[in-house]
Amino acid sequence: MTTLKDLRPAYVAGIGFHRYQFISDTPYVELGLTAVRGALADAGLPWPAVESAYVAKALLPMAPGRPMLRHLGATGLPIVHVEDASASGSAAFRHAVMEVASGLADIVLVIGVDKPMPVGRAESLARIGGLADDAIAPFTHFALLADAYAARSGAKVEDIALVALKNHRNGAKNPFAQHQKERTLDEILNGKKIAGGFTSLQCTPVGEGAAAVIVASEEGLKRHGLGLDRAIRVAGSAGRSQRVYDDATRYDAMLTQETAAIALREAGLSPSDIDVAELHDAFTVEEVEYLEAMGFAPEGQAVPMLKEGAFDIGGRCAVSPSGGLISMGHPIGPTGVGQIGEITRQLRGEAGPRQQPGARHGLAHMVGVGAVCYVHLLSRD
Amino acid sequence: MDELLKPALYRAEGTTAVPQRPALLGGECGACGYVFFPLQRYGCEKCGSLDLKPRDLSGAGSLLASARVHLHAGKGRVAPFTVGAIRLDDGPIVRTLIVEEAGPLAVGQRMATTLETATDAEGAPRLDLRFAPEA
Repeated sequence: MTTLKDLRPAYVAGIGFHRYQFISDTPYVELGLTAVRGALADAGLPWPAVESAYVAKALLPMAPGRPMLRHLGATGLPIVHVEDASASGSAAFRHAVMEVASGLADIVLVIGVDKPMPVGRAESLARIGGLADDAIAPFTHFALLADAYAARSGAKVEDIALVALKNHRNGAKNPFAQHQKERTLDEILNGKKIAGGFTSLQCTPVGEGAAAVIVASEEGLKRHGLGLDRAIRVAGSAGRSQRVYDDATRYDAMLTQETAAIALREAGLSPSDIDVAELHDAFTVEEVEYLEAMGFAPEGQAVPMLKEGAFDIGGRCAVSPSGGLISMGHPIGPTGVGQIGEITRQLRGEAGPRQQPGARHGLAHMVGVGAVCYVHLLSRD
Repeated sequence: MDELLKPALYRAEGTTAVPQRPALLGGECGACGYVFFPLQRYGCEKCGSLDLKPRDLSGAGSLLASARVHLHAGKGRVAPFTVGAIRLDDGPIVRTLIVEEAGPLAVGQRMATTLETATDAEGAPRLDLRFAPEA
């Protein structure tokens, strides 16, 4: 089977953001254009150089792409909209990478943009209702997993909350984060109660925003007089969907495990090679579960390692240096694209006060309801 | 008032194995033997076979996890309430409400089904399935 390794290299050549923020009157067009213009300027590329665009969104209504992108000049480029729930941005990035790696295009835009809007889940239309589906919101799904994790590993509620302490500390240094405030463990534990051991500061906020990246080939950059000095290579890309697992409630972790293993194998990397990781930490327990599932910590050891600072900036592997979904936010469509932006910034050594020293290899991971999962690996050559 | 809220998912009568507890209405794949809940006829999630038959599941199992829910946006349900994940002795895992008078819950403890008065969308009283610690 052909993998990325067998194709020509694809690079992240530009990144741009609109800050993730609480819902506002700002039109999505402005959110998206800010991120796209930022990514073009960062890459040093003019808009007409972009040959193809992938627009990731999960909440905005049908076809938001052209009504936004036309304001850069309607070049007639193909526009594909990608929806894969929380992983929409990761899915869009994967397809942009495939287009560049295959040689079909040299310079491709990925833009994730969203605003909170009430949308239903298609699964509810399958007419296979459960006993009390309405009682189990996403935070309750993860509160149940946190209870099971605590029983399995011996971790306490305040141990799992250390994820929020770290991620709010990181997000406080990120100008694009929705929450930019360092919090004490006391503030986190005594906040508004949500479900199980979760308080509001242990859960991702609802918000809006945009993130963009430019994916390019060496030839495409050369044609525009650009080199690879700030380009970050995409070393691995994997996408999977849920299978039937013995413990059906742990599908997020099981799916993460198999998707990460494929991406790492493709890149020829092991978890110990990874210096920086952005993962789907919408709720604190997810970070510890996925660190174990992906092999960053042995089973049941993520909490002790977290306490030792292994996952802090400056630790063994900086996890969610952007602040992650808990602090930077999770506007849905942009989230997976923003992770690629943060990893790129880190591998370039341009992350300022959040810089993981000497970062060379990075991993980005998202899950989406359904469930689907994506893992990407980026490397500085 | 003996009408059930979701008669497609459970019934008042138990199974031969656990006669005193309401049974859940699951399914079994004739091709690969996969046992699932609730019953559906679209195709087996494990092997894709259309040979799906009803399979009654006993209303007994053990607690995998529970959570007290303090915040709830949906209509027709008022927080706080408690939900649990229960692995049925017959295999499938279900997630649903735990009776309010359950007291402290511990992962691994035995649970069983019971019927409790709830209301349907129009406000009429109906019996709905809950799990309770096994007496």
